[in-house]
Order: sequence, then structure tokens, then C-alpha cells
Amino acid sequence: MSFYPSSTIFTIIAFLVLLWLLNKYAFGPLFGVMEKRRQLIQEQMNAAANSRVEAEASMAEQKAALDEARKEAYAIIEQARATSSKQAEEIVSSAKNEATRLKDEALKDIESEKNKAISALRTEVGGISVQIASKIIEKQVDEKSQEEIVNKYLNEVGSK
Amino acid sequence: MHIFPIVDLNGIQIDLSAIIAIVVTSIIVFVLARLAVRNLSVENPGKLQNFMEWVIEFVHNTIASTMPFEKAKKFISLGMTLIVFIFVANLLGLPFQIITEAHHEIHWLGITKEVLEAHDGHAHISWWKSPTADISVTAGLALVVFVIVHSLGLKWNRKHYLKHYFEPYPIFFPINLIETVAKPVTLALRLYANILAGEILISTILMLKVWGLPFMAVWQGFSIFVGAIQAFLFTVLTMVYISQAAIHDEEHAH
Repeated sequence: MSFYPSSTIFTIIAFLVLLWLLNKYAFGPLFGVMEKRRQLIQEQMNAAANSRVEAEASMAEQKAALDEARKEAYAIIEQARATSSKQAEEIVSSAKNEATRLKDEALKDIESEKNKAISALRTEVGGISVQIASKIIEKQVDEKSQEEIVNKYLNEVGSK
Repeated sequence: MHIFPIVDLNGIQIDLSAIIAIVVTSIIVFVLARLAVRNLSVENPGKLQNFMEWVIEFVHNTIASTMPFEKAKKFISLGMTLIVFIFVANLLGLPFQIITEAHHEIHWLGITKEVLEAHDGHAHISWWKSPTADISVTAGLALVVFVIVHSLGLKWNRKHYLKHYFEPYPIFFPINLIETVAKPVTLALRLYANILAGEILISTILMLKVWGLPFMAVWQGFSIFVGAIQAFLFTVLTMVYISQAAIHDEEHAH
């Protein structure tokens, strides 16, 4: 095997031409496509990351809304409970007041009726005793005693 | 041993078989590459495009392992051309041989009376071979690599590139010089010797006639493997040399 410089030179030229041709017509476009795909994947990954962030944000939002709603419901229940117990207390107290008032009124009525009855009884007893007294007096005062009394009165008048 | 068709053109000897082989290899590589990028698609690449992209990724990885990523990109084209060209060239001599027999003097092919006499009156002229089985061709490839390596070293990394000739002590300059020369020489010789050995063994097995078929099958398969390995080696070594000369690693400064 001998060495031919012409082959060497031809190889160099052929290789450089091939390199240039491949760069221009084959690898250049291929690199472009691969770069484009890289960008596409990058974009898609970015989009995926973005949508994940968005999803997380909306999930947090929903969670917050849910928590708020729960809190609100709890507050409403609490309020209702408070209102109902207050109302119950009010009803009970008003009923108590009413009962006390009725009792007091009844007591007052009884008292006044009692007083009325007592005074009526007193009047009646007075009348009856006067009648009884006049009946007794009528029976016992005769002519003699009447005279005595008249005399007495006359004496009293004369002495003056 | 066959002889090769040598044309004498104004005192310049031209090996026709080598030139045919180089041209055929270049055409095959270019057609292959064009086929691969015929229907380029970003989202739905075809089979050939996928294969080509796999090769690119492969070359990219071998380059990226020897130099920083941003700088590696510029050499993917070179690496791709090297690996595909050498692989196709290595396989070119495997499937068949084209041999003509010359019984008379053919002066323009360099078949002179002495040559004929040396071959018992009938010279076998081999028109077909792996271009990489020719030391002249592999020397050409190695020269390209040599020029690229050292021009990049001078252009990108002048200070450290020049300094490395005197490392670790100035007295090592001759040794470093020998190393610099040895790199492309070994690059060329390794490729040439591997492929030539394959071709020689193929022509030897051919002498066995029919009995050589099983050996031929085995050796052809192994030659494909060797061809791939050599193409890979040549490319990787090129990248290593480039990164040694052109890339100065700041972190491991010495």
C-alpha cells in the first residue's frame, strides 16, 4: 500500500464539501426542527406549570370560600341558638311577670273585697245594734222614767 | 493482493478507486441525510428523522461529555459528518468487490509491462474498496481534524493552548510536540489499519470459495461492528482533542 497525496487532498476537499452541504441542506434544518421542538416542549411545560399554579390558586380560593361558608353557617346557627334561648328566656320571664301581676291583682281584689265586706258588715252591725238598742230602750222607758228625764233636762236648763 | 487503478496525471498519481469510493460514500451520506430531513416535522417525526435525531443526540452526548454544553453545539455538525461519513465508508468495502483483470498493458491505469510480469501476466485491478482502508484517505480526515483542533486552540484559548506545550516544565516541550504530532497520526493509522485488516481478511476468506461462507458471514457481521466502533472512536477522539485544545476549564485551572 503506497501513499497518494492526491487521495489525501481529494479526501479533505470532499469532506469539507460534504460538511458544508450537510450543514446547509440536512443538519441545519434538522437542528432547526429540534430547536423548535425544544421550544414547543418548553412552552408546553411552562403552560402546564402555569395551569398548575392557576389550579392551585383556584383550589385555594375555593377552599377559602368553603371555609368562609362553613364559618358563616356556624355563625348563623350560633346566632339562631342565641336568639332562640333569648326568646325562650323572654317568654318565660314575661310569663312569670304576667303570673306575678295576676297574683298581685287577685290579692288586691281580695283585700278590697274583704275591706268592702268588713265595712258593709260594720254598717249593718251598727244599724242592727241601734235597732236593738232602740227596741230595748222603747220597752224600758215608761212614764216615770220619762218624767225623770224631762225633769233632769229642765233642771239642767234651770240651773243655767 | 490486488492492485489499484492508478492514473498518472502530469506527474500526479491519482488512485481512482479511492476517489470513486470517496465520491460514492459522500453521495450515500448526503442522500441518507436528505432522506432523513425530507419530511421534517416538529410534532410527528418520521422513522428516518427519528433515527437521525437519535444520532444527533448520541453525538451531542459524546461531545457534551468532553466539553461544556454551550460550546459543544458548534461541533455537532462536524461530529455528525465525521461519524456518518466514516461509518458509511467503513461499510462500503464489505458487501462486494469489483475486480477487473488486465492481461495487456494499460498505460493510463499504470499497468505496465513490469506490473504485468510481477503478477504472472494477469493483474487484478480492484475498483471498489472502503475509502477508509486507504492510509491516504484517513490521513486526509486526520489532517482536517488536526487543523480544526489547533486553529480552534489558537483562536479561542491562545494563552493556555500555547502554554500547554511547556507543561509541566519547559523541558517537556519536545515530548509535547511529539504528542501533538502523534495524535493525528494515530487517528489516521488506527482507522486505516482496522478497516484494512477487515478487507484483507475478507479477500482471504474469498480464497476459501464455498467453504468460506460461514466465516464470511461471521466476519462481515464483526466488520460492521468494527466499522461502527471505529467511526465512534474517531469522532469521540476528535471531540476530546478539540476540548483539550480549545476549552480551558476554569475550575481545574493548572
